[in-house]
Amino acid sequence: MMHRLAMLAGALMLLAGTASAQDIRLGTVIPLSGGGASYGASIQQGLDMALREINAAGGINGRKITLDVADDASDPAQSVIALQRLVNDNDDLVIGGWGSSQVLANMAVAERAGMPYIVVGASNPRITTSANKWTFRTLTNDNGHAARLAEVVSLLHFKKIAIIYDTNDYGVGLRDIFTAGLAKQGIKAVDVESYQTSDKDFTAQLTHIAAAEPDAVMLFGTLPAIAAIMNQARDQGIDARFLGAAGLSNEAVMKLAPQAAQHAIATAYFHVDTDATAKEWAARYQQAFAQANQAPRPSQAAPAYEALKLMAAPCLAQVGTDKDKLRLCLKAWHGTLFGLPPAEAHFDDTNQLLAPLVVEEVVGTEFKLLPGANQ
Amino acid sequence: MLAQLLVGGLGTGCIYALVGLGFTLVYRTMRMVNFAQGQVFMAGTFLGLFGAQQFGLPALPLLLLVAVISFAVGMLLERVVFRRLYASHEVFVVGAIGLGVMIENGFRIVYPEPLPFPKIFGAGVYHLHGAVFQKTYLWILIVTLVLVAALHVMFAYTRTGRALRAVASDGEIAATMGVNVQRAIGATFGLSFAIAAVAGVLIGPLYFVSPDLGDMVGLKAFSAAVLGGINSVVGTILGGLALGLMEALAAFYISTDYKDLLAFAILVLMLLVRPQGLLGRVVPVKV
Repeated sequence: MMHRLAMLAGALMLLAGTASAQDIRLGTVIPLSGGGASYGASIQQGLDMALREINAAGGINGRKITLDVADDASDPAQSVIALQRLVNDNDDLVIGGWGSSQVLANMAVAERAGMPYIVVGASNPRITTSANKWTFRTLTNDNGHAARLAEVVSLLHFKKIAIIYDTNDYGVGLRDIFTAGLAKQGIKAVDVESYQTSDKDFTAQLTHIAAAEPDAVMLFGTLPAIAAIMNQARDQGIDARFLGAAGLSNEAVMKLAPQAAQHAIATAYFHVDTDATAKEWAARYQQAFAQANQAPRPSQAAPAYEALKLMAAPCLAQVGTDKDKLRLCLKAWHGTLFGLPPAEAHFDDTNQLLAPLVVEEVVGTEFKLLPGANQ
Repeated sequence: MLAQLLVGGLGTGCIYALVGLGFTLVYRTMRMVNFAQGQVFMAGTFLGLFGAQQFGLPALPLLLLVAVISFAVGMLLERVVFRRLYASHEVFVVGAIGLGVMIENGFRIVYPEPLPFPKIFGAGVYHLHGAVFQKTYLWILIVTLVLVAALHVMFAYTRTGRALRAVASDGEIAATMGVNVQRAIGATFGLSFAIAAVAGVLIGPLYFVSPDLGDMVGLKAFSAAVLGGINSVVGTILGGLALGLMEALAAFYISTDYKDLLAFAILVLMLLVRPQGLLGRVVPVKV
């Protein structure tokens, strides 16, 4: 009897082992707590949606994809540990990474371990360099954002521009690139203020900004701080237009600053009105996550969905989970992304995806394409 | 411009003073520091949000309800948790820090994202000498004054207040005079929780509600209490106001990067030069 039980247990273990060995293990390092939680949950929703669709259609060459989630709590030090855990878990590839400081800290783990790592939530230019072998980025970097924002400044004839930036890699990077671009237009910012990510009260900075009487205020940071800045600025009587990069392109801003954010302008990676595929995808996504803990936010979920469904999945189907072959396949990837002006996207020598951006503004409870800025 | 900074600094200072009072009340009675005070403040904001959203309560009933519930929770936690930590100050401090971490992470599981707080004190703004400030600031000022006056009346003129002071002065003698010491200690914790939670509701409309709301406020309020004298009620209030104002002025005239540095530099300086604080007194150790 004991012998039979032992054999049965052995057979079951073998079966279980075979089943999990066949799965493709997708890891993701995202913030599910701390300041970046609203972005992290959206990235997870985007990955979940792509994964459900792939698995429902029979997986990749018969292999299902499983998701291994590591929460980095929006903290650079913890993001290193989180990515190392995914490496230790023998994941086949990683899609995720939110926050420039976090990605600049954790990408060394991917490079050292030889882990294909597709970054879908950080835009500091220093993330993609010629030294990158394993780290890819599907988001246009801050050079692109700053250039588009400079175009908007020119389009809307803003003359007096104030800047408030987060003192992390994302905020400082954007400040430097944008200020340099502005100088080429012969414009010098009337005031430049800084804050820490966890700050709650911005009275001192906004008092300086109010005194400078700007017609536009650049917000180089992320939620919830930039939403608090907008609310407190309006309370102080600052009526300037707000502009920001992808940190502002998050539907949560309508909830946190419903009045203050009206007509705020953001450069973004997705907009529902650019093409029919985007519209159809957004409707499916909204429906799939209508009952989720966090309301669906297409702007942040779309890049994660596209990275898995349009880039990683075809490569996995073509070359399997051999990491080196996967890396080379990704490097050679080219195609068209939805939710952006039509253009063929491809990775450059630094593994940076070259793709366009959209410019949008908050109108009511949604983002609308900014008239005249998306031709 | 200066008016704007003074209003902002005074508002923040009132919050530091109220949360700091929580530290002071417990310290005066127990000679122990409850480092979960910042998280109690944060929990009060969430409680206020819940009351405002679920029951649509207006400002005054909401403040009263939060105060009553927090008082009860404070007494309950004293009985269930804090009472078991009185063995030594080290045990108490570590236990209180642990409780604070538990409260914060408990809220984080349920509310991972920041939430907006309704404008329960009115949506408009006041204009004063070029400063523009939300109606909330006026409420912060008035409620702080009312609470401080009520505390003074209670401690000076009521039987309960005198009992609390007697226990704070010497628990053993108070017990021989017929004071129920355990109940007085429970009431002290209840009061410190209620005041911090009310401060949490007061600040809600100015910021978003998030589990980390109490981290820095708790530390700053402790600094304020040490600055003023942690065993002095008046000292703590003055310490809170001074810290709030100094922070606002330093952030504007020096740099926002040094706002937190200033608060903790003051704490360190005070500990070095005058450990009993501005208005605190040295309590002689009885042998």
